[in-house]
Amino acid sequence: MSSSKSKLGKLDFDPPVTVASGTFGTEYFDFFDQRWLGAYVSKTVTFEPKAGNPVPRLYETEAGLLNAIGLQNPGLKGFIGDELPRLRGQLQIPLIVSFSGSTPTEFCQMLECLEKQPGIAGYEVNVSCPNVEKEGLPFGIDPDVVFNLTRELSKLTEKELTVKLSPNVSSIEQVAQAAEAGGATSLALINTLWGMAVDWRTGKSRIGRKVCGYSGIGVKPVALALTYKAAQAVKIPILAMGGIHTWRDALEFFFAGASVVAVGTAMFSNSQAVVELVQGLNGYLEEHNLRLKDIIGKVN
Amino acid sequence: MSVCQKTLPVTGADTPQPGYRVLWIEDHELAARCVPGMFFELKADRRDQANRLYKPISVYQVREGRIAFMVKEVGEGSKALCSLQPGEGVRLIGPLGNAFPLLNVQNILLVSGGVGYPPLAYLKNCLPPSSRVIHLHGGASAKDIFPCDIVCTEDGSAGSKGRVTDLVPSVIAENRIQLVYSCGPQPMLKALTRMVEGIPHFVSLEAYMACGIGVCYGCSVPVGNEFKRVCKDGPVFNAADIAWEKL
Repeated sequence: MSSSKSKLGKLDFDPPVTVASGTFGTEYFDFFDQRWLGAYVSKTVTFEPKAGNPVPRLYETEAGLLNAIGLQNPGLKGFIGDELPRLRGQLQIPLIVSFSGSTPTEFCQMLECLEKQPGIAGYEVNVSCPNVEKEGLPFGIDPDVVFNLTRELSKLTEKELTVKLSPNVSSIEQVAQAAEAGGATSLALINTLWGMAVDWRTGKSRIGRKVCGYSGIGVKPVALALTYKAAQAVKIPILAMGGIHTWRDALEFFFAGASVVAVGTAMFSNSQAVVELVQGLNGYLEEHNLRLKDIIGKVN
Repeated sequence: MSVCQKTLPVTGADTPQPGYRVLWIEDHELAARCVPGMFFELKADRRDQANRLYKPISVYQVREGRIAFMVKEVGEGSKALCSLQPGEGVRLIGPLGNAFPLLNVQNILLVSGGVGYPPLAYLKNCLPPSSRVIHLHGGASAKDIFPCDIVCTEDGSAGSKGRVTDLVPSVIAENRIQLVYSCGPQPMLKALTRMVEGIPHFVSLEAYMACGIGVCYGCSVPVGNEFKRVCKDGPVFNAADIAWEKL
């Protein structure tokens, strides 16, 4: 048994590393073997196809990346018809499907539909994308809404149900507890922070949508604090992400309470980030004669 | 064919103009796969660039197993690339993107602006010798000018004064242009598209990219009623298909 083996609710993770939804595609398997990941998280799929946000959608800041993609995706039908069979054919690791609806009913309809599909190991309920007007946001910031939504969704599946939380809330503890009480089997956090950049020469926003999502190296301390706070507030495991580039970053998150970590923006600057992270983590655990579970939540 | 990701030493470097750098790498397998229009994601293999994004850079020249890129100093990433010396490492992902479609016509116009020059210079070398090719290139000033047939600068410091598009109507009329290829800033491409309406016109678009391999949808551009990825569906598009008003 690998010393870095972990568990996220109902899913075994070996290695305890996955990818942040929206930042990853099977294209990266040109660069490394997929078995370096414990699971694959899809891009978020919405009920209807989404064209995405106006351009420009990206800007690299001094410390991290701004994006306003707007969940560009082919919609549930397109996902089930094209993307899912392709993923099933290609993946040898568990598939977690990330999805988002514009109403609680739509979330439930989507889950019912996905439940009929083979080859899905779990779900990430995206209630927290900052880049869409209707999907997600009204859900992710209100603990009562998160509780009711999670309660309805948890009735519909026996699979892993992880709720992806927004950092743009006043109390992560309340939202985390609401998801847990509603039946979430794990939590994923953080989605992107609010961000913005302006060209000081012209006064023009660097991003078409102006306010957008901020990820990457600069958000790590925020993500770490929210991981710690959420881990203190709930008993269900946490899939943590936010600025994780190296195995040292990952260790910080494990100490803060994460059971599994995800790499996102780091893939764009280093397509070997996952491999280097897993190798470094295993090396650290071996060197100190530790198992991962010995350090999860043991920040002092 | 799968995309390659590797770190290679810079085998040659020169500064054709202040603020521009030509970097050569040697890799016979990658060179054999390059066609005009393609690009690579590049970044300097330096510690301070570790967490920075790669920069999409068009192939400029391919010669005997070697590939040249022309980089313009714009931000931190391109600045680091421009400072590379022979022997230093460059990290790359590629070759990426599609290619300029080649049509069997006689009179071809290439229009480039600023750092839109390299992919068209490469294309020009690969067009059939039987074609009559005119390369029109414009820049802000003489330091943005590279070898071509007709030059224009906004400040008049080289060639005629004005924008490159100012010269297009007369060049088209006098040379019975049947096909246009272009690359440069979006306002230039947009204006050019209007001017050459009715003539087949293929544009290579510049875009801010994160992944460069079709994953993140950050570089998408409006094409008809949808968004297409510059990195994977492009960078070369039929100019008539781009929804320029939404750019």
